[in-house]
Amino acid sequence: MRAPTGISELDAMLHGGLMRGDVALVVGSAGTGKTTLALQYLVNGATKFNENGLYITFEQMPAQIYRDAVSFGWDIRKLEAEGKLRVVCTSPPVLVQFVEQQNPIDAMIAEINAKRIVIDSISHLESFIPASELRGELYRLINHLKMKELTSVFTVESHEVFGDRLVVTGVGLSFLVDCIILLRIVEIQSSLKKALTVLKIRGSNHDKQLREFEITSQGIKIGVPFKDLEGLLTGTPRRTGEERFAEAFAKAARKGK
Amino acid sequence: MNETGLHELSEKLIGTEIKAELLRLFHMNPGILDTIESIARRIGRMPKDVETELSTLVELGVLRKERFGKLDVVSLNTNKDREIQKKIAALIEGGAKG
Repeated sequence: MRAPTGISELDAMLHGGLMRGDVALVVGSAGTGKTTLALQYLVNGATKFNENGLYITFEQMPAQIYRDAVSFGWDIRKLEAEGKLRVVCTSPPVLVQFVEQQNPIDAMIAEINAKRIVIDSISHLESFIPASELRGELYRLINHLKMKELTSVFTVESHEVFGDRLVVTGVGLSFLVDCIILLRIVEIQSSLKKALTVLKIRGSNHDKQLREFEITSQGIKIGVPFKDLEGLLTGTPRRTGEERFAEAFAKAARKGK
Repeated sequence: MNETGLHELSEKLIGTEIKAELLRLFHMNPGILDTIESIARRIGRMPKDVETELSTLVELGVLRKERFGKLDVVSLNTNKDREIQKKIAALIEGGAKG
């Protein structure tokens, strides 16, 4: 009943992977690794789990995606030639027509027998669909994907790099999706680190810790949970009370010597 | 004949700067499935300047234009494109031999 992402630590956090047929939202500000995570999910699906996938991009051109993927050792063009993956570059008005009958995107899904789909990023729809219709259109799109039994990943841009307010979208997208993975940049001792957490999975338990991750030459690599820090989601964490006490105690002990 | 054929074909395919840009865009990004307006934006041109050139490439069969809901959507016709590429290669080879 799970669609593993193939990122072992993330699958452990998700208790086995995404729930099959669900829609997961990957939220993060620019440069946090949303596209890398989404692409890795599709590449792993095609190469490790025999699940073909469709990648829908709006602004980023396929040529750039092919090039960037090579730096992670992923040959997208080869996967396309093998009929395991398809990169579609389109614009929001076309995607909205996706729910119409006899459309080319549905035809591609059928052609490669896709089980996974990525829409990168759903934020672009906000600039095209009037706010009053956006929630309804997203609901229709999500249900269209569910009827096709696809396990979907949507990326969405959060505008705040730092701060204690996290707004996924103004239309309550977080209520429509089944899973939310949050990527965040945090400042620790004057250096920027990347943090990942699972905020929600409908109908399943999950790891609730905030873990450090890196974008390596093999893609996303998730490390251990951050320790002795609180307020990480604000982007500017503080040491925990216990940690501050331990340091003050050690300082006093040194003075006393 | 080969030289004339090659000249005519290349004139139709890349006779203008915009046509050459469109071909380059679709060859580098074969997964484009988009409206004329958006394609124009992707090559940094105005839709009115791109429309006629796109139509020529659609007539040649390199690109495909389909009605998709309320929109006309253009994509690369991979099979026809491959066929034309082979034809050009053959014409060039023929010209070199002749």
